[in-house]
Amino acid sequence: MSAAATETETLLESPGGSPLRRIAWHWRHNPKRELWGAWFTIIAFYNVFTVVFFIMTHTQPPPKPWLDAHGVVRWFDGYHNALLIGFGVMFVLTGMTVAQNALIAYSMRRMSVHPGFGYAYLVLYSLAGVPGSLLLCIVLTVGAMRPDRDPALMSWLYDFAFLSYVGTMGVFLVGSLVWMTAILLDKNNVFPKWFGYLNLCNALTEVVVSPAWIFHRGVFAWNGLIAWWIDMVVFGVYTGAFISLLRNMIQREDFGTGPLPELVPNKPNKPDKPGKAKRGPDSPSTMGAAR
Amino acid sequence: MTTSSVKEAEAGKAVPFVPGQPDMWFFALFETLVFTAYFVVYMFARMQHHEAFLQSQAKLSLSIGTFNTLVLLVSSWSMARCVKEARVGAYRSALTNAFLTASFGVVFLGSKIYEWVREIRLGYGFASDEFFSYYFFLTGIHALHLLIGFVVLGVVVHQLRSPERRSQNLVETGAVYWHTVDFLWVLVFSLLYVVR
Amino acid sequence: MKRADGELILLWTVPALALIWISAFFLFPGFIHPMSPEMSSNEVAAFYRDSSNLDRIRGSMILFNWFCVGMIPALTLIVMQIRRMAHRTPVLSYCMLGCTAGGPTLFLIANLFWLIAAFRPERAPDQTQMLNDLAWVTFTTAVPFLIAQSVVIALAIYLDRQPEPVFRPWVAHFNLVVAAALVPAAFVGLAMKDGVMAWNGLLPFWVKNAAIAVWIVVMGVELGRVIYRQRAAEESEAVEAVAGAGA
Repeated sequence: MSAAATETETLLESPGGSPLRRIAWHWRHNPKRELWGAWFTIIAFYNVFTVVFFIMTHTQPPPKPWLDAHGVVRWFDGYHNALLIGFGVMFVLTGMTVAQNALIAYSMRRMSVHPGFGYAYLVLYSLAGVPGSLLLCIVLTVGAMRPDRDPALMSWLYDFAFLSYVGTMGVFLVGSLVWMTAILLDKNNVFPKWFGYLNLCNALTEVVVSPAWIFHRGVFAWNGLIAWWIDMVVFGVYTGAFISLLRNMIQREDFGTGPLPELVPNKPNKPDKPGKAKRGPDSPSTMGAAR
Repeated sequence: MTTSSVKEAEAGKAVPFVPGQPDMWFFALFETLVFTAYFVVYMFARMQHHEAFLQSQAKLSLSIGTFNTLVLLVSSWSMARCVKEARVGAYRSALTNAFLTASFGVVFLGSKIYEWVREIRLGYGFASDEFFSYYFFLTGIHALHLLIGFVVLGVVVHQLRSPERRSQNLVETGAVYWHTVDFLWVLVFSLLYVVR
Repeated sequence: MKRADGELILLWTVPALALIWISAFFLFPGFIHPMSPEMSSNEVAAFYRDSSNLDRIRGSMILFNWFCVGMIPALTLIVMQIRRMAHRTPVLSYCMLGCTAGGPTLFLIANLFWLIAAFRPERAPDQTQMLNDLAWVTFTTAVPFLIAQSVVIALAIYLDRQPEPVFRPWVAHFNLVVAAALVPAAFVGLAMKDGVMAWNGLLPFWVKNAAIAVWIVVMGVELGRVIYRQRAAEESEAVEAVAGAGA
């Protein structure tokens, strides 16, 4: 980790030209390429996730929990190909979530807190991918691939999928609390304190969703106004906030151990200025998006 | 919670816009918005089944609810006193008020649990009646905020205890949280118990 | 620098584990001629009710249950090697660490479905078939973290810019090829007829599992080479240090 330690001190000049050439330049010279790579992977993943879950398979917002067995069979029929192709894409790309967990764990290593926080978050959220998303993909794939299966079994698969997906709470709850505690204790100003408190709001949604295990219909069911919609809005705000704050963190990163410096306003080398502008080492690269 | 950085911030800034960290005010605003969303959903359901809601609501004990509210309001008063005392450097008195606040919180929680047990004994559980679903949800999520409030009070006490810490900013931040919980209760109380 | 003990033990778990996995693989009657997704529920039920099959299903799956997480110790050695690379941040090693648990966990879930199906073979054929489907789909699609792991290793090697990089560059290319070989298995739900894309077909079964096997062998050998070289270098450094102190 000592190589190119002086690079941050000097201004690097990115060549203009085609996006490919710029990506190649950042890949070779940008000292923050690992961080930017992880950040762009997060962006790419949430785009894929939105397309697959909200647009293709219509598993978000979740379908009705009160469907009878024949309704469930009809639901599987309606989304047969979308489920099989969409979740195929998820099986290929769900591994991208590790970039998010790694970058967030890194943010905690940059703080003035015990290393245990970062590792705890990494383990919690790496674990979360299986019950929190992949089980749904597996079980709905099994349901969709044999449309002539006994409707009672289809209904069981349907419940299994959505309850495991919506009802996986503990890892996200504890993970958010770990991140919150780290941010509130941190003296390096890696994240603003309000985001620490926003972690608590996110953790509380994991409590609010728990009635989904009890109710078959109404606002507390797995697609209910309170258990799903309001929680989803909070989660959306939370996700948007941390994605932009992580970007902010990478831009401010100085590879030191003390307080993270603030961004200097009105820099001559605006990061998103195209063309032949002089680029600081902290200008975002697009190298991650390329892979 | 950091002391040194906060102290620097206190020294650096001229007149703070709000007492405590503005970040906690953001939290208060955000949680109020989330609760408002819950209330809107509740009021909508109530409009749909007005009669049924009124019948179930009649089973609630208004006196316990009023008692809850009074206890929590008093706890907010002692919290405010705690901040005031800490501001003038009377840390011993501030500590006493912090503990007083915590004990009012415990009384509130105790009477809440008593009320819940009473309603469940009467046959109104979380899933048995629509009004009571909302009732248990709203009071439960509020009680959870109160439990977190005890952690916040712990931080305040921790700050007040040692002369090396004593960040007025953090004490006030904790107070903002406590008042938010109190404020949310007043809303929950008026919507669940009072509005007919 | 004092060397911590036990690294070689973790490394040499790989061949021992490979042996166990291969024997469990051939013990399971549904793998040598992989079961077809076209089998009717009665045929699937008959497969589990056949007493000669049943013992082998249980035996092999209990063996897998014990050892399917057995790769994790060796995978952590790769995490440690990534930490030695000339990176600016530990992000890639965290990515690798995040991947290590995911693959085995998914395999473990598939394993549970097989064992549950075999626990009560007298269950209604439809139910046995569903458990069998769950097992096969979980087993076949258990690639997300394996793909991510190979891509992360490849990226880490490409970014390891020092005169003597930890892994040789071809290891990175090899990992990308393995990642690509695992991709078709993700779409197994689409092919319910026998063919190259079915779960017993060429791509999702033979290519995927061969890729995993080759990956284990190649990475095991490469990791061994790297670790032994590292130890030799550290030893000579230590000798020099002692000599320097004596002089």
